[in-house]
Amino acid sequence: MDELKKFALEIRIETLNMLSKHGFGHVGGSLSIADALAVLYGKHMKYDPKNPKWEGRDYLVLSKGHCGPALYSTLAIKGFFPREELLTINKLGTRLPSHTDKNLTPGIDMTTGALGQGVSCALGMALGLKLQGKKNIVYSIIGDGEAQEGQVWETMLIAPNKGLSNFIVILDNNRQQLDGFTDDISSLGDVCRKAEAFGWFAVDVDGHDLAAIDQAIEECKRSEKPGFINLKTIKGKGWPAKEAVLGNHALRGAAFEGVDEVLADLRRQLEAMQ
Amino acid sequence: MNYEMFDAKKIIGEVTAAEADLNPGIVVVSTDSAPRTGMGEFIAKYPDRYYEVGIMEQAGAGVSAGLATTSKTPVFCAPAPFTTARPFEMFKIDIGYMRQNVKVIGRNCGFNYSDLGPTHFGLEDMALVRLIPGVVILAPMDASQLRGAMRAMLRCEGPVYLRIGTAPIPKIFDDGDFEIGKGFVVREGSDVAIITTGEISRNVFEAAEKLAAEGINVMVVAMPTVSPIDEELVIRAARQTGRIITVEEHFVVGGLGSAVCEVCAESSPVPVKRLGVPMEFLSAGQYTDLVKHCKLDADGIAETVKAFINNP
Repeated sequence: MDELKKFALEIRIETLNMLSKHGFGHVGGSLSIADALAVLYGKHMKYDPKNPKWEGRDYLVLSKGHCGPALYSTLAIKGFFPREELLTINKLGTRLPSHTDKNLTPGIDMTTGALGQGVSCALGMALGLKLQGKKNIVYSIIGDGEAQEGQVWETMLIAPNKGLSNFIVILDNNRQQLDGFTDDISSLGDVCRKAEAFGWFAVDVDGHDLAAIDQAIEECKRSEKPGFINLKTIKGKGWPAKEAVLGNHALRGAAFEGVDEVLADLRRQLEAMQ
Repeated sequence: MNYEMFDAKKIIGEVTAAEADLNPGIVVVSTDSAPRTGMGEFIAKYPDRYYEVGIMEQAGAGVSAGLATTSKTPVFCAPAPFTTARPFEMFKIDIGYMRQNVKVIGRNCGFNYSDLGPTHFGLEDMALVRLIPGVVILAPMDASQLRGAMRAMLRCEGPVYLRIGTAPIPKIFDDGDFEIGKGFVVREGSDVAIITTGEISRNVFEAAEKLAAEGINVMVVAMPTVSPIDEELVIRAARQTGRIITVEEHFVVGGLGSAVCEVCAESSPVPVKRLGVPMEFLSAGQYTDLVKHCKLDADGIAETVKAFINNP
């Protein structure tokens, strides 16, 4: 678990570094999925950074595509491309746009950003792999705001009907969206029970407890049903002043004030673990 | 004119099943609509390659794109408004932007769903899909072309949209290869050129015969690929006749007429009359009545040609 903890710290450091240097970006949701990404790429997923299209790989579709920076950090740490490239985010000609893009980035298998659509594409990939008799797993991370999109629930309906045991949806339930708190806007309610009612194997998990995330993924893999993990997360996790406060969805310019101290602290934590 | 008539759905199904024998990657995605698109034979033959997801076209488009990501060649079929207008953003991003090898069929296009009214008419499908860079639009005109277009679509790489009605379709042309992106001259002429697409073309051919009998010499150009349009042929028609009428079972905005106007405006400016469905919502009605109302029957086309020649 120490390795995963270090990995998660590194993801947060790289994410905050790239976004603050660029001066804009979706900080809140990127930080809330850092731990899940660390567990996925640090333990569960099969991939080859030198051969991103390797046929034996597992797939991750980041349906909440605006949190691309966290995934780019993850991929860079794992060697899909140089870490220095992270600083090219959103610069003309970059391979790293805010939202994940299949056409541009090594390790990205689906273009996302229009909320609700990535998870349907991920389901299509799971169908295709199943037809080929392959064991690869397709993971898709969705947001709780995103889950207000009807298309998400179309996908929720299809997967159990098609017996997709190779499909795991991870809900980054940080309880916030652009306009405020999800519960004040259009609450998902007891989303795990909803998923179960749709026919999924569903678990509630502390989204910042690495061992619990690990165990939940393990259980989903073992299940004959498609897996649904309700990650209870904190938007902005890792930057105390930005955690679960309004306005932490995307930061611009002066809103990054204080980031240097946060980065220094995160780096101290990392060094202490080395 | 008496043509031998064929079932368009049957042709779609036959070609898909035959091509699926050759290409194990071909799969069919249905949103409660594949059997009615003629896929019965495919479904019986390849049940494990058939995905009925239910009535959810947004997910249907996305699922198709996901299947294409795993090297499949999905055929996503449903009535035209439900494969284009309803999941437009998914068509744009999942299929178009990512250049996924998805083949989309919009059946019952135009007024084919005559009894079902404006919710089911497919009169803006080409306009929408023309806005997505790189998507080929096919509108075959007869049974032979439908067969050829289906084959060409399934064998080429990249996203394609094929629009078709499901009424009996005549066999007008000889069977042969269908070349994506190429139009052809059906009849030479010098007074005016009619450029047409889709199954409504048969009325153009009939109108041209009537006009010839009256001494009006009409050039008829078939344009079964609407995007990318055969610019060279449009320019040739413009230069040869000096005026063009476009005929299509689609709104006059955004489809073949617009595509022809764009080419003419930039490369060979001539007067262009767009004959199609006027920009208004029409009620349910019998197919022939709707066609006549829009002057898309042979008499209406001939009348429009004469008026255009006399007062371009």
